[in-house]
Amino acid sequence: MTTFSEKRNIKLALVVDDSLMQCKVLSVLLKEEGYRVFTANDGARGVAMYIKYKPDLVLMDINMPIMNGYEAARKIKGLSQDNSLCPLIFITSMDTDQAFIESIDAGGDGILVRPFSPNVFKAKIKSIQRISDLYGQVKTLQQAQQKDAELAEQLMSGVIEARNFSRDRIGIIRQAAEIFSGDIQLTALAPNGDVNVMLGDFTGHGLRSSIGAIPLAETFRAMTKKGFSLFEIITQVNHQLYDLLPADLFLAAGFVSISNHNASMYGFNAGLPDGYLFSELGDVKYQLASSHPPLGVLPNLLPDSQLTVVSIAETDRMILISDGIVEARNEAGDMFEFERFERAAKKGVIEGDVCKDMLQAVNDFCKDMPQEDDISLIDIPCGGWEQLLVGSHDFESFPDKLLSDTSIKTPPAWHWQLSLSGKRLSVINPIPMAMSQINEIEGHADHWQSLYTILTELFINSLDHGVLGLSSDLKASADGFVEYFKEREHRLRNLDEGFVELQLSHHPVPNGGRVIIKIKDSGQGFDITKYYRDRELASPQKLKLSGRGIDLVEQLCDSLDYQNDGTVVEASYVWTS
Amino acid sequence: MSVKKQVSENSKKIEIFIDGRFDFSLHQHFRDAYANCTEKGQVFTLNLGATSYMDSSALGMILLLKDHAESHSGSVVITKPSESVNKILEIAQFHRLLTIEQ
Repeated sequence: MTTFSEKRNIKLALVVDDSLMQCKVLSVLLKEEGYRVFTANDGARGVAMYIKYKPDLVLMDINMPIMNGYEAARKIKGLSQDNSLCPLIFITSMDTDQAFIESIDAGGDGILVRPFSPNVFKAKIKSIQRISDLYGQVKTLQQAQQKDAELAEQLMSGVIEARNFSRDRIGIIRQAAEIFSGDIQLTALAPNGDVNVMLGDFTGHGLRSSIGAIPLAETFRAMTKKGFSLFEIITQVNHQLYDLLPADLFLAAGFVSISNHNASMYGFNAGLPDGYLFSELGDVKYQLASSHPPLGVLPNLLPDSQLTVVSIAETDRMILISDGIVEARNEAGDMFEFERFERAAKKGVIEGDVCKDMLQAVNDFCKDMPQEDDISLIDIPCGGWEQLLVGSHDFESFPDKLLSDTSIKTPPAWHWQLSLSGKRLSVINPIPMAMSQINEIEGHADHWQSLYTILTELFINSLDHGVLGLSSDLKASADGFVEYFKEREHRLRNLDEGFVELQLSHHPVPNGGRVIIKIKDSGQGFDITKYYRDRELASPQKLKLSGRGIDLVEQLCDSLDYQNDGTVVEASYVWTS
Repeated sequence: MSVKKQVSENSKKIEIFIDGRFDFSLHQHFRDAYANCTEKGQVFTLNLGATSYMDSSALGMILLLKDHAESHSGSVVITKPSESVNKILEIAQFHRLLTIEQ
């Protein structure tokens, strides 16, 4: 707020004294110090003048008619609660302890006892003005900081969180200790229909703690969208935060990827309290404990780092929390702790609203205690994600003429290929590269998501079954996928021979195009006729944990063909705009 | 003051004690405790025996101490964390970054 006096360079002083002589003397001294002076001869008039002129300094007598100095001081101090400290000095001849104490109690910033020399008076004015200037500076800084925090908050909720995926199904609590929360929650959909979720807690809170939030959100979203695996995303986020943040700023974070396709959850906890997997009855099925220092501390992830894989049912719920919930304190100084958290979460899971029940429980526990740390939680349903992907692909709409083979006879508009062998196969994921080529040449479009799924499934089949020689039979039981994943990790780490060759060619057709995908591997191949025969014999009601990838690819492609005993697969994908 | 420092006679060993809550309010005192210890090969012992609580900014401050020690070819050892403080160190997996002695 700009006051009357701030608009001018000359400072204003108000002298309130019933003695005209005193007013005159003080006015002269103040004018010599560069003040413009107004005078009032009783307390009530003094208050009125204060309201009218908003002076920079008030000198107040104590004994006056109508309203005395103490009362006038209280009124003035009650009015000046906004931004500026208007220093008020009592001028009196009462040299008693009582007068001094009452002056300060009434809101006075100092007292000057008569008689005093002009130089002592001027010195007092200078010192009090210095304090007042300092106060003004602090206020200005505080306001600037508040504005920054508000802007950051706007950015956070408007830009970062508004872009989260499936905000209607994934429950989020974000209750900041200060305006700006050091906690960040991100959700994004991967091209294969997996849902990636992250809950992060930057060191401390407030603006300082959140400088990493925007690059973090960008990396998480862009890499998820391009189809990088969760582990690749975590590796990159760690690397980026290490480069970006000073040594004492880091991010404790939990990552979860829900794959309905594999009936599994992939998790990684770097410095957060345990994440919880609950059954629909609210029983704890799994606890995702921290296995790595927070991100941004080390230049690279520790060498033994890996994702945890857990089998999930579609009715399960995965919950990630920051330490703000379990460390929330009540008046007696007790913490909320995990036991209360588990009880509230169980109630929430059964009743269907974890966020509501959790907030209720924390608030009931803490009562009116001020919140010390950011409180945040993410509640992710483990089922219902796959339908979303297949459902969004309207396969029936392709005109028949596009499916004719004529388009392949002409040479492709472009051709791209990559061959990976040996150790490179275990560290390089070629799918994001392939997708990035397509996006760059043909432009970004939603239907590339289906192509991504086809590429991923076919590449993984070639790598897993061809090069690594893994058998799908491993996935036969409900926990089989976890076993399968472990064995896969083991074989990948020891891989030093074999290859996978990936070829893409694009043939434009009117209003669309046709992408031919050809993948060749160094494996033994497999008996395709047996595969189809087994599939026909399998009861459709039976819970099937393998082969779903190929079913999906068949739905998305217009042709799928295995050659050379199954060591080469060729798929054709047609799109229309 | 809740940050105390004890230096061994040959000034090779510096022990820092934190009394009570270890949080951002100790930032300056904590830094002052080690900032001018720039001899090569010093061992900084952070004694958390009397530390009742530690927050994430304290973890950050420990990392700064670690950086300082390592840039002067020294090392950091954390000693005697209470159960609750140890829990925080454990969640942050700090035993994988530096030595923690019970």
